Amino acid sequence: MQAPELQEAFIRLMNEHRGILHKVCRLYCFTEIDRQDLFQEIVIQLWRSFPSFRGEAKFSTWLYRIALNTAISDLRRQQRRITPTDPDLLPTELQDIQYNGEKEEQLQVLYNAINRLTEVEKALTMLYLEDKSYQEMEEILGISQNNLRVKMNRIKEKLRKMTKETAYGIGKP
Amino acid sequence: MELENLKHIWATQTTPGTPEPGSEELLALLQKKSRGPVARMRRNLACEGRIILFTYIPTIVFCQIEFQGHLSILSALLFGIGLFFGIYYYRKMQLLNEMQCVSCMVRSNLARQVTTLRKYIRFYLVSGTAIIPLTAFLSYVILHWKFPVRPATGTRVYHLLEPSPWWASPIFWLLLMVPLTIGSYYLNAWYINKLYGRHIKKLQELLREMDEE
Repeated sequence: MQAPELQEAFIRLMNEHRGILHKVCRLYCFTEIDRQDLFQEIVIQLWRSFPSFRGEAKFSTWLYRIALNTAISDLRRQQRRITPTDPDLLPTELQDIQYNGEKEEQLQVLYNAINRLTEVEKALTMLYLEDKSYQEMEEILGISQNNLRVKMNRIKEKLRKMTKETAYGIGKP
Repeated sequence: MELENLKHIWATQTTPGTPEPGSEELLALLQKKSRGPVARMRRNLACEGRIILFTYIPTIVFCQIEFQGHLSILSALLFGIGLFFGIYYYRKMQLLNEMQCVSCMVRSNLARQVTTLRKYIRFYLVSGTAIIPLTAFLSYVILHWKFPVRPATGTRVYHLLEPSPWWASPIFWLLLMVPLTIGSYYLNAWYINKLYGRHIKKLQELLREMDEE
Protein backbone atom coordinates (compact mmCIF):
# COMPACT_ATOMS: atom_id res chain seq x y z
CA MET A 1 0.00 0.00 0.00
CA GLN A 2 1.34 3.47 -0.90
CA ALA A 3 1.80 6.12 1.78
CA PRO A 4 -1.25 8.29 0.87
CA GLU A 5 -3.48 5.20 0.64
CA LEU A 6 -2.12 3.97 3.95
CA GLN A 7 -2.82 7.34 5.55
CA GLU A 8 -6.31 7.37 4.12
CA ALA A 9 -7.05 3.86 5.40
CA PHE A 10 -5.64 4.80 8.80
CA ILE A 11 -7.70 7.97 9.11
CA ARG A 12 -10.83 6.07 8.10
CA LEU A 13 -10.23 3.44 10.78
CA MET A 14 -9.45 6.13 13.35
CA ASN A 15 -12.71 7.90 12.59
CA GLU A 16 -14.56 4.61 13.08
CA HIS A 17 -12.89 3.77 16.38
CA ARG A 18 -12.13 7.13 17.96
CA GLY A 19 -14.75 6.55 20.64
CA ILE A 20 -12.52 3.85 22.15
CA LEU A 21 -9.56 6.23 22.27
CA HIS A 22 -11.61 8.94 23.99
CA LYS A 23 -12.79 6.46 26.61
CA VAL A 24 -9.22 5.32 27.31
CA CYS A 25 -8.08 8.95 27.62
CA ARG A 26 -10.99 9.78 29.91
CA LEU A 27 -10.19 6.79 32.11
CA TYR A 28 -6.46 7.38 32.46
CA CYS A 29 -6.21 11.17 32.53
CA PHE A 30 -7.72 13.64 34.86
CA THR A 31 -7.26 16.93 33.04
CA GLU A 32 -8.23 17.99 29.55
CA ILE A 33 -4.62 18.78 28.60
CA ASP A 34 -3.41 15.34 29.69
CA ARG A 35 -6.30 13.75 27.83
CA GLN A 36 -5.35 15.54 24.60
CA ASP A 37 -1.70 14.60 25.13
CA LEU A 38 -2.56 10.96 25.62
CA PHE A 39 -4.89 10.97 22.60
CA GLN A 40 -2.06 12.37 20.48
CA GLU A 41 0.42 9.81 21.84
CA ILE A 42 -1.93 6.90 21.15
CA VAL A 43 -2.58 8.10 17.58
CA ILE A 44 1.20 8.42 16.96
CA GLN A 45 1.84 4.91 18.32
CA LEU A 46 -1.03 3.50 16.27
CA TRP A 47 0.27 5.16 13.12
CA ARG A 48 3.81 3.85 13.71
CA SER A 49 2.55 0.31 14.20
CA PHE A 50 -0.06 0.46 11.45
CA PRO A 51 2.19 -0.75 8.59
CA SER A 52 2.96 -3.89 10.60
CA PHE A 53 -0.72 -4.64 11.30
CA ARG A 54 -1.33 -7.88 9.42
CA GLY A 55 -4.91 -8.47 10.44
CA GLU A 56 -4.02 -11.58 12.46
CA ALA A 57 -5.95 -10.14 15.38
CA LYS A 58 -9.13 -8.08 15.10
CA PHE A 59 -8.48 -4.40 14.47
CA SER A 60 -10.20 -3.46 17.73
CA THR A 61 -8.01 -5.94 19.67
CA TRP A 62 -4.88 -4.41 18.13
CA LEU A 63 -6.17 -0.91 18.87
CA TYR A 64 -6.99 -1.71 22.51
CA ARG A 65 -3.53 -3.20 22.99
CA ILE A 66 -1.78 -0.09 21.72
CA ALA A 67 -4.10 2.33 23.50
CA LEU A 68 -3.83 0.53 26.85
CA ASN A 69 -0.08 -0.07 26.52
CA THR A 70 0.44 3.63 25.85
CA ALA A 71 -1.84 4.74 28.68
CA ILE A 72 -0.49 2.30 31.27
CA SER A 73 3.20 2.76 30.41
CA ASP A 74 3.15 6.53 30.56
CA LEU A 75 3.74 6.78 34.27
CA ARG A 76 4.67 10.44 34.21
CA ARG A 77 1.16 11.42 33.21
CA GLN A 78 -0.26 9.17 35.91
CA GLN A 79 1.95 10.76 38.55
CA ARG A 80 0.48 14.13 37.63
CA ARG A 81 -2.95 12.71 38.41
CA ILE A 82 -4.93 14.48 41.08
CA THR A 83 -6.56 12.14 43.57
CA PRO A 84 -10.29 12.71 43.39
CA THR A 85 -10.90 13.27 47.08
CA ASP A 86 -11.40 17.01 47.03
CA PRO A 87 -14.62 18.13 45.30
CA ASP A 88 -12.88 21.28 44.05
CA LEU A 89 -10.37 19.15 42.20
CA LEU A 90 -12.92 17.11 40.30
CA PRO A 91 -12.46 17.16 36.55
CA THR A 92 -14.28 20.13 35.14
CA GLU A 93 -16.41 18.04 32.85
CA LEU A 94 -17.75 16.04 35.77
CA GLN A 95 -18.56 19.20 37.68
CA ASP A 96 -20.20 20.74 34.65
CA ILE A 97 -22.42 17.82 33.83
CA GLN A 98 -25.98 18.89 34.18
CA TYR A 99 -28.03 16.53 36.22
CA ASN A 100 -30.59 16.13 33.53
CA GLY A 101 -31.08 12.48 33.99
CA GLU A 102 -30.39 9.37 35.89
CA LYS A 103 -28.05 8.20 33.11
CA GLU A 104 -25.58 11.05 33.57
CA GLU A 105 -25.70 10.71 37.31
CA GLN A 106 -24.93 7.01 37.13
CA LEU A 107 -22.13 7.62 34.64
CA GLN A 108 -20.61 10.22 36.91
CA VAL A 109 -20.75 7.90 39.91
CA LEU A 110 -19.18 5.17 37.78
CA TYR A 111 -16.31 7.42 36.62
CA ASN A 112 -15.70 8.60 40.18
CA ALA A 113 -15.48 5.02 41.34
CA ILE A 114 -13.27 3.90 38.41
CA ASN A 115 -10.88 6.77 39.14
CA ARG A 116 -10.13 5.10 42.46
CA LEU A 117 -9.11 1.82 40.82
CA THR A 118 -5.55 0.86 39.84
CA GLU A 119 -4.33 1.16 36.24
CA VAL A 120 -4.77 -2.56 35.59
CA GLU A 121 -8.23 -2.63 37.16
CA LYS A 122 -9.25 0.32 35.00
CA ALA A 123 -8.24 -1.57 31.86
CA LEU A 124 -10.24 -4.61 32.92
CA THR A 125 -13.29 -2.54 33.84
CA MET A 126 -13.21 -0.76 30.53
CA LEU A 127 -13.00 -4.01 28.54
CA TYR A 128 -15.83 -5.45 30.61
CA LEU A 129 -18.02 -2.41 30.00
CA GLU A 130 -17.14 -2.62 26.31
CA ASP A 131 -18.70 -6.09 26.45
CA LYS A 132 -15.51 -7.91 25.50
CA SER A 133 -15.42 -11.64 26.10
CA TYR A 134 -12.83 -13.09 28.47
CA GLN A 135 -11.13 -14.59 25.42
CA GLU A 136 -10.72 -11.11 23.90
CA MET A 137 -9.61 -9.65 27.22
CA GLU A 138 -6.92 -12.33 27.39
CA GLU A 139 -5.77 -11.47 23.86
CA ILE A 140 -5.50 -7.81 24.79
CA LEU A 141 -4.09 -8.00 28.30
CA GLY A 142 -2.21 -11.30 28.27
CA ILE A 143 -3.79 -12.41 31.57
CA SER A 144 -5.26 -15.92 31.72
CA GLN A 145 -9.05 -16.16 31.59
CA ASN A 146 -9.27 -17.76 35.04
CA ASN A 147 -7.23 -14.96 36.54
CA LEU A 148 -9.36 -12.42 34.67
CA ARG A 149 -12.54 -13.87 36.15
CA VAL A 150 -11.11 -13.72 39.67
CA LYS A 151 -9.95 -10.15 39.17
CA MET A 152 -13.22 -9.07 37.58
CA ASN A 153 -15.25 -10.43 40.51
CA ARG A 154 -13.01 -8.54 42.89
CA ILE A 155 -13.38 -5.33 40.89
CA LYS A 156 -17.16 -5.65 40.75
CA GLU A 157 -17.25 -6.06 44.51
CA LYS A 158 -14.91 -3.12 44.98
CA LEU A 159 -17.02 -0.89 42.71
CA ARG A 160 -20.20 -2.01 44.42
CA LYS A 161 -18.75 -0.98 47.79
CA MET A 162 -17.44 2.30 46.45
CA THR A 163 -20.69 3.30 44.83
CA LYS A 164 -22.60 2.31 47.96
CA GLU A 165 -20.27 4.47 50.02
CA THR A 166 -20.86 7.32 47.59
CA ALA A 167 -24.61 6.84 47.76
CA TYR A 168 -24.51 7.05 51.56
CA GLY A 169 -22.05 9.92 51.51
CA ILE A 170 -19.13 7.81 52.79
CA GLY A 171 -15.93 8.42 50.86
CA LYS A 172 -17.87 10.62 48.48
CA PRO A 173 -15.42 12.60 46.40
CA MET B 1 -24.70 -0.25 41.36
CA GLU B 2 -24.18 -3.30 39.17
CA LEU B 3 -21.52 -3.04 36.49
CA GLU B 4 -23.55 -5.24 34.17
CA ASN B 5 -26.39 -2.68 34.11
CA LEU B 6 -24.03 0.13 33.17
CA LYS B 7 -22.85 -1.36 29.87
CA HIS B 8 -25.55 0.46 27.92
CA ILE B 9 -24.79 3.82 29.56
CA TRP B 10 -21.10 3.24 28.89
CA ALA B 11 -21.69 2.43 25.24
CA THR B 12 -23.83 5.49 24.56
CA GLN B 13 -21.82 8.05 26.53
CA THR B 14 -20.68 11.24 24.87
CA THR B 15 -17.37 12.93 25.55
CA PRO B 16 -18.22 16.36 26.93
CA GLY B 17 -15.53 18.99 26.69
CA THR B 18 -13.34 16.95 24.36
CA PRO B 19 -13.13 18.51 20.91
CA GLU B 20 -13.38 15.85 18.23
CA PRO B 21 -10.36 16.14 15.94
CA GLY B 22 -11.30 16.07 12.26
CA SER B 23 -9.44 14.12 9.57
CA GLU B 24 -7.13 17.09 8.91
CA GLU B 25 -6.21 17.33 12.58
CA LEU B 26 -5.61 13.58 12.71
CA LEU B 27 -3.32 13.88 9.68
CA ALA B 28 -1.40 16.68 11.43
CA LEU B 29 -1.02 14.47 14.52
CA LEU B 30 0.75 11.82 12.42
CA GLN B 31 3.61 14.25 11.72
CA LYS B 32 4.23 14.93 15.41
CA LYS B 33 6.95 13.34 17.51
CA SER B 34 6.13 10.88 20.25
CA ARG B 35 6.36 12.21 23.79
CA GLY B 36 6.31 8.79 25.40
CA PRO B 37 8.97 7.83 27.96
CA VAL B 38 11.02 5.64 25.59
CA ALA B 39 10.97 8.28 22.83
CA ARG B 40 12.15 10.86 25.36
CA MET B 41 14.98 8.57 26.53
CA ARG B 42 15.98 8.00 22.90
CA ARG B 43 16.04 11.74 22.21
CA ASN B 44 18.11 12.42 25.35
CA LEU B 45 20.60 9.74 24.32
CA ALA B 46 20.84 11.16 20.81
CA CYS B 47 21.50 14.59 22.32
CA GLU B 48 24.21 13.10 24.56
CA GLY B 49 25.76 11.44 21.50
CA ARG B 50 25.78 14.71 19.55
CA ILE B 51 27.45 16.57 22.44
CA ILE B 52 30.22 13.92 22.60
CA LEU B 53 30.64 14.03 18.82
CA PHE B 54 30.79 17.84 18.61
CA THR B 55 33.25 18.20 21.47
CA TYR B 56 35.49 15.19 20.90
CA ILE B 57 36.07 15.42 17.14
CA PRO B 58 37.34 19.06 17.11
CA THR B 59 39.46 18.39 20.23
CA ILE B 60 40.99 15.26 18.70
CA VAL B 61 41.73 17.11 15.45
CA PHE B 62 43.14 20.10 17.34
CA CYS B 63 45.48 17.92 19.45
CA GLN B 64 46.59 16.09 16.34
CA ILE B 65 47.53 19.07 14.18
CA GLU B 66 48.56 21.78 16.66
CA PHE B 67 51.80 22.05 18.68
CA GLN B 68 53.80 20.16 16.02
CA GLY B 69 52.09 16.92 16.95
CA HIS B 70 53.36 16.98 20.55
CA LEU B 71 49.82 16.45 21.83
CA SER B 72 48.98 13.68 19.39
CA ILE B 73 49.06 11.18 22.24
CA LEU B 74 46.30 13.15 23.95
CA SER B 75 44.19 12.85 20.83
CA ALA B 76 44.81 9.08 20.95
CA LEU B 77 43.56 9.05 24.55
CA LEU B 78 40.46 11.04 23.59
CA PHE B 79 39.92 8.76 20.62
CA GLY B 80 40.04 5.73 22.95
CA ILE B 81 37.49 7.27 25.30
CA GLY B 82 35.40 8.34 22.31
CA LEU B 83 35.41 4.76 21.08
CA PHE B 84 34.16 3.65 24.49
CA PHE B 85 31.36 6.21 24.20
CA GLY B 86 30.54 4.86 20.72
CA ILE B 87 30.02 1.35 22.13
CA TYR B 88 28.09 2.83 25.07
CA TYR B 89 25.83 4.83 22.76
CA TYR B 90 25.21 1.89 20.42
CA ARG B 91 24.30 -0.52 23.24
CA LYS B 92 21.99 1.94 24.94
CA MET B 93 20.19 2.70 21.67
CA GLN B 94 19.88 -1.03 21.02
CA LEU B 95 18.25 -1.53 24.43
CA LEU B 96 15.91 1.42 23.91
CA ASN B 97 14.79 -0.02 20.58
CA GLU B 98 13.99 -3.31 22.32
CA MET B 99 12.26 -1.65 25.23
CA GLN B 100 8.66 -1.61 24.11
CA CYS B 101 6.28 -3.42 21.84
CA VAL B 102 3.08 -1.40 21.90
CA SER B 103 1.14 -3.83 19.73
CA CYS B 104 1.97 -6.78 22.02
CA MET B 105 -0.27 -7.93 24.85
CA VAL B 106 -0.19 -5.50 27.78
CA ARG B 107 1.38 -8.01 30.17
CA SER B 108 4.17 -9.07 27.82
CA ASN B 109 4.89 -5.44 26.97
CA LEU B 110 5.23 -4.62 30.67
CA ALA B 111 7.47 -7.65 31.24
CA ARG B 112 9.63 -6.60 28.29
CA GLN B 113 9.90 -3.06 29.63
CA VAL B 114 10.94 -4.27 33.09
CA THR B 115 13.58 -6.68 31.72
CA THR B 116 15.05 -4.23 29.23
CA LEU B 117 15.00 -1.32 31.64
CA ARG B 118 16.88 -3.46 34.19
CA LYS B 119 19.52 -4.27 31.56
CA TYR B 120 19.67 -0.61 30.57
CA ILE B 121 20.19 0.50 34.18
CA ARG B 122 22.86 -2.17 34.80
CA PHE B 123 24.71 -1.15 31.65
CA TYR B 124 24.43 2.54 32.56
CA LEU B 125 25.88 1.83 36.02
CA VAL B 126 28.70 -0.42 34.82
CA SER B 127 29.80 1.83 31.95
CA GLY B 128 29.44 5.01 34.03
CA THR B 129 31.69 3.48 36.68
CA ALA B 130 34.15 1.82 34.27
CA ILE B 131 35.01 5.10 32.54
CA ILE B 132 37.07 6.20 35.60
CA PRO B 133 39.53 3.24 35.80
CA LEU B 134 39.64 3.12 32.00
CA THR B 135 40.70 6.78 31.76
CA ALA B 136 43.19 6.34 34.59
CA PHE B 137 44.68 3.24 33.00
CA LEU B 138 45.00 4.89 29.57
CA SER B 139 46.60 7.97 31.15
CA TYR B 140 49.06 5.77 33.05
CA VAL B 141 50.03 3.85 29.89
CA ILE B 142 50.45 7.06 27.88
CA LEU B 143 52.56 8.76 30.54
CA HIS B 144 54.81 5.74 30.80
CA TRP B 145 55.14 5.54 27.07
CA LYS B 146 55.82 9.24 26.54
CA PHE B 147 58.02 9.78 29.59
CA PRO B 148 59.73 6.47 30.27
CA VAL B 149 61.45 6.26 33.61
CA ARG B 150 65.08 5.41 33.02
CA PRO B 151 66.35 2.56 35.11
CA ALA B 152 68.80 3.66 37.75
CA THR B 153 72.33 3.52 36.49
CA GLY B 154 75.55 3.49 38.44
CA THR B 155 76.66 1.27 41.17
CA ARG B 156 76.49 3.64 44.10
CA VAL B 157 73.67 3.20 46.57
CA TYR B 158 72.19 6.70 46.09
CA HIS B 159 71.91 6.01 42.37
CA LEU B 160 69.90 2.85 43.03
CA LEU B 161 67.67 4.66 45.54
CA GLU B 162 67.11 7.60 43.23
CA PRO B 163 63.35 8.11 43.43
CA SER B 164 61.29 7.86 40.26
CA PRO B 165 58.75 10.66 39.68
CA TRP B 166 55.54 10.39 41.77
CA TRP B 167 53.30 10.08 38.75
CA ALA B 168 55.21 7.03 37.50
CA SER B 169 54.33 4.98 40.51
CA PRO B 170 51.49 2.47 39.94
CA ILE B 171 50.61 2.85 43.64
CA PHE B 172 49.78 6.50 43.05
CA TRP B 173 47.45 5.54 40.19
CA LEU B 174 45.83 2.83 42.26
CA LEU B 175 45.33 5.20 45.18
CA LEU B 176 43.77 7.68 42.79
CA MET B 177 41.65 5.13 40.95
CA VAL B 178 40.11 3.15 43.79
CA PRO B 179 38.32 5.96 45.69
CA LEU B 180 37.33 7.66 42.44
CA THR B 181 35.83 4.44 41.08
CA ILE B 182 33.96 3.72 44.31
CA GLY B 183 32.73 7.32 44.47
CA SER B 184 31.69 7.21 40.85
CA TYR B 185 29.79 3.96 41.44
CA TYR B 186 27.72 5.47 44.25
CA LEU B 187 27.17 8.72 42.39
CA ASN B 188 25.99 6.84 39.30
CA ALA B 189 23.77 4.55 41.38
CA TRP B 190 22.15 7.57 43.06
CA TYR B 191 21.65 9.40 39.75
CA ILE B 192 20.24 6.34 37.95
CA ASN B 193 17.87 5.69 40.83
CA LYS B 194 16.75 9.31 40.65
CA LEU B 195 16.15 8.98 36.92
CA TYR B 196 14.56 5.54 36.67
CA GLY B 197 13.97 4.27 40.22
CA ARG B 198 10.32 5.24 40.50
CA HIS B 199 9.62 4.25 36.91
CA ILE B 200 10.92 0.69 37.24
CA LYS B 201 9.27 0.27 40.63
CA LYS B 202 5.90 1.27 39.19
CA LEU B 203 6.34 -1.06 36.21
CA GLN B 204 7.19 -3.94 38.56
CA GLU B 205 4.12 -3.16 40.67
CA LEU B 206 1.90 -3.22 37.58
CA LEU B 207 3.38 -6.53 36.47
CA ARG B 208 2.96 -8.02 39.93
CA GLU B 209 -0.64 -6.89 40.01
CA MET B 210 -1.31 -8.51 36.64
CA ASP B 211 0.21 -11.81 37.78
CA GLU B 212 -1.33 -12.13 41.22
CA GLU B 213 -4.45 -14.24 41.49
